[in-house]
Amino acid sequence: MNEPSLLSGATAVFLKDVRSEWRTRVSLSSLCLFAFAVLVLIGYAVGPARLSPEDRPTVHSVLLWIVLFFSAMTGLARAFVKEEEVGTADALRLTAQPAAILLGKLMANFVLLTAVTAFVVPLFLGMMSFEIKNVWLFLVLLLFGIFGLASASTFVAAIVAKASAKGTLFAVLATPLLLPPLVAAVSGTQIAATHAEFSAGFDLLRLLLSYDGVVTTAAFLLFDTVFRE
Amino acid sequence: MQLIADQLSRSFGARRIFGPFSFAVGPGEVLGVAGANGSGKTTLLRTIVGLLRPSSGSVRVGSNGSLVGPRERPHAFGWAAPDLSLYAELTAAENLMFFARVAGRPLSAARVDELLLALGLVPQRISTTPIRYLSTGQRQRLKLGFATSREPAFLILDEPGSNLDEPGRGVIEKLVAAQRARGGTVIASNDSRDLSLADRVLTLS
Repeated sequence: MNEPSLLSGATAVFLKDVRSEWRTRVSLSSLCLFAFAVLVLIGYAVGPARLSPEDRPTVHSVLLWIVLFFSAMTGLARAFVKEEEVGTADALRLTAQPAAILLGKLMANFVLLTAVTAFVVPLFLGMMSFEIKNVWLFLVLLLFGIFGLASASTFVAAIVAKASAKGTLFAVLATPLLLPPLVAAVSGTQIAATHAEFSAGFDLLRLLLSYDGVVTTAAFLLFDTVFRE
Repeated sequence: MQLIADQLSRSFGARRIFGPFSFAVGPGEVLGVAGANGSGKTTLLRTIVGLLRPSSGSVRVGSNGSLVGPRERPHAFGWAAPDLSLYAELTAAENLMFFARVAGRPLSAARVDELLLALGLVPQRISTTPIRYLSTGQRQRLKLGFATSREPAFLILDEPGSNLDEPGRGVIEKLVAAQRARGGTVIASNDSRDLSLADRVLTLS
């Protein structure tokens, strides 16, 4: 009897989710449309010239992460909610190892959020004339920040998938869980915009990395119970 | 290998759905489960495969009667039921290959074609068709394929004949006959044609 390896099972789940998403483009379209609409509103209401130069790093950092946060809220819950709604979750429960399901879904959500970030960030930087002094610090912050968003959102999606008021419950559970990395990501982005040296943001990167590690570990420890009960 | 249900029961709140009762299904044996609507046939089958936790008792499989955990479940049970859904955006072959791969028993493209032919589905005709565009009868055949493709020790079929035409019912007979060589089968149905495949019938009240 062959034991499925974690990586092989997770890759299968990931590829299945990517293939399904590519054929329907439901999540990608809704996330990108939402992000684009918010960007246009922000550009129209705030614009690059309405803020004083000293306020720009703070306000722009907050606005950028608000767009990414609400994009995550909009699309990432589908990872598990859709499986429960259309009835495929039972087939998955019967055939796949829980850890492989979570890892595959996390990989798919991370790739989805990375695609949205790659769409949003250049537009945001261009529209708002937002200058980043330390691009590497900014990129690592984005990487750790969106991984934290993807990890927490994926796990919360698994928790709420069977609930009747999924949308409300997802926001209620995810918001407090996502506030710590958002605060760190906003502060870090502000530092990346104002400081040239990488070491200035090191503490915040460490905080984000610790958060990502704790949330992802907790998700793997608890997922079996959450998904099966 | 035996499937042993020992003092098995399931309740939702104060409402008892079935049991407690005990039964065993041996290798090559087919157990039919009959009963009126609401008598708990589907709940019993979902409890056997581990999708529901029993309120009391246990389900054990194997010669030593061990409990079935998540790691053993894909190889122990093949399940098909009206409330089972497969991925509508994927083709029939992609669905079978995906579930086989996550269960640790990858299937070659040639083997998938063989399975589809055995289900009465022509691989060339549906090779690029997402299953949302298949008929309900074709999707029912694919569910049977999902249940049998991993060659499980026990085949658990809930209303297997629903939406099937006469050739489709022939497919069920062939699958159950093939399963006799591999292990046991449990069929829940109210259709006498499905229950005629069983060696004995457990009637739920």
